[in-house]
Amino acid sequence: MIVNQFLVLAALLFSIGIYGVLVRRNAVLVLLSIELMLTAVNINLVAFGQYLQDALVSGQVFALFVITVAAAEVGIGLAIVILIFRNRSSANVDELDLLKW
Amino acid sequence: MVFLSLSFWREAGGAMNVNYLSVAPELILTVAVVLLLMIDVQWKPGYRWWGIAAALGFAGAIAASVMQWVGHRGEDAAEYFRGMIATDGFSAFAGILIFPIAAMALMTAWPLVRSLGRRGAEFVVLVMIAAAGAHLMAAASNLVMLFIALEVFSISLYVLAGFTRARADADEAALKYFLLGALASAIFLYGIALVFAATGTTSITGIATFLGNELLFRPGILLAGIALLVVGLGFKVSAAPFHVWAPDVYQGAPGGVTGFLAASAKIAGFAAAARVLTVALDARIEDWAPAIGVIAAVSIVVGTLLAIAQTDLKRMLAYSSVAHAGFILTALVGGAAGVADMWFYVATYAVQVVAAFGVAAVVSGPQQGPAPLADYAGLSTRSPGLALALGLMMLAMGGIPLTAGFVGKAAVFSAALDADYLWLVVLALVAAVAGLFFYLRVVVLMYMQPAEGSGSVPVPLGARIVLVVAAVVTVLAGVVPWPLLRWLGEALPG
Repeated sequence: MIVNQFLVLAALLFSIGIYGVLVRRNAVLVLLSIELMLTAVNINLVAFGQYLQDALVSGQVFALFVITVAAAEVGIGLAIVILIFRNRSSANVDELDLLKW
Repeated sequence: MVFLSLSFWREAGGAMNVNYLSVAPELILTVAVVLLLMIDVQWKPGYRWWGIAAALGFAGAIAASVMQWVGHRGEDAAEYFRGMIATDGFSAFAGILIFPIAAMALMTAWPLVRSLGRRGAEFVVLVMIAAAGAHLMAAASNLVMLFIALEVFSISLYVLAGFTRARADADEAALKYFLLGALASAIFLYGIALVFAATGTTSITGIATFLGNELLFRPGILLAGIALLVVGLGFKVSAAPFHVWAPDVYQGAPGGVTGFLAASAKIAGFAAAARVLTVALDARIEDWAPAIGVIAAVSIVVGTLLAIAQTDLKRMLAYSSVAHAGFILTALVGGAAGVADMWFYVATYAVQVVAAFGVAAVVSGPQQGPAPLADYAGLSTRSPGLALALGLMMLAMGGIPLTAGFVGKAAVFSAALDADYLWLVVLALVAAVAGLFFYLRVVVLMYMQPAEGSGSVPVPLGARIVLVVAAVVTVLAGVVPWPLLRWLGEALPG
């Protein structure tokens, strides 16, 4: 089995995710970019799990855990974004400048 | 079908060796959490009951950790639950440290809990869950378990940081902590995936065995994985250059929360770092030790320089915690030989930081908001006890002899010297002297400036107990550190 194409895909997705985190201004889109990074990790884990023919299927099981934890994380993240939106009627990360230096 | 899958698991992974003592602290805390919530919903007994339930939970967890310590100290790790949980002196000591720290932080946050009304129960519960997650991070012997424990710990802290919903600065702190923490988790996970790819296992001892026996001809993927793991852990312990979240979060979050956040993130983060680096990646120490050394140096310099410029006590303590992360990392460049010194520093620093943020929480009132340094002018006349406690903690953090901070610095420096990192020790020494400036500035402010506000500052009972305990521990560990140092020699990851 050739894994290169999966690794390239995962690396690209991860990079797009980091780019999104750095340049996006809306907190929801930043959250979305982090999800992209986690998806990249899942692709990696499943590809490596299949490639290594691991008897414990660690890679695939790990991917399931990552999906579950990511769901919990997004739940909290969206709640915090809503909180911010209620207090400032904007979810723009550029405007979070009460605390600096 | 169920039978088939069960037998498959048994063949693949060996026996499911259940040992309830190895997860007893987590079990006890979880039971206490469930009881607290259910009884609170049914009978609404109020904050007194929350305090009782939390006290019982933490007391039980500490007792379980002590039993683990008695049974496992100084021995190789015993792995349970199919290699997911390691019980050894290392994880037991982490429990003995993290649960009292969490209880102390909860005591300093108690006025805030009471001011929250019915929502206070959730606050108590989140602190308990975060403490369980932090201990699990130290006890995880599989990267899957480590990741889940890290998330249990982090997600609780994201919520705690923004718990006072109406305060805009706390919300901002929560969002910044969440976004950067989630980013760090994703980077950490990518590192795990790459290490898994290179070694074919996620078990920490399995990785150690693989790297000890195999000669990798193309270690690129492993090195990339190690780099990403170090970045992820560096975020969690707020080491520079991954520290940008720390000042904002420490300043914005309520004082009692910040103390817990600062102390537990250091304990759990360094416990995880020590186990991953000195056990799993021990064979690769030539690759990661220089990187750790550079991160330590950058943290010490950046933390010290930026702390000098601060005008808010909580923000100053945040930058000082970046510098302390650097000092603690200094011990880790020595690999497994530095773990006992790392523990000494982490343990004493955790006590100091909880007490210092406890004072900040008391001075800034029940809402535990910002802590501008001007509020501390002349504190010695308004509240001699608070000024004495904060002054002692400042001296200890600065590393004045006869306090635990001095012994801790001496210990981590000796570990780095044993590993031939002279440049790092020299740099750290210079920075430690420069750091005295901003610690002593607080002391001068409290004792030599006239008070601006009038009237004494009332100190709640919980905070009073925490400050006395922290002061006693700090002085005792500074004057007679040998018993603790000897015990820590038995608190190594196996």
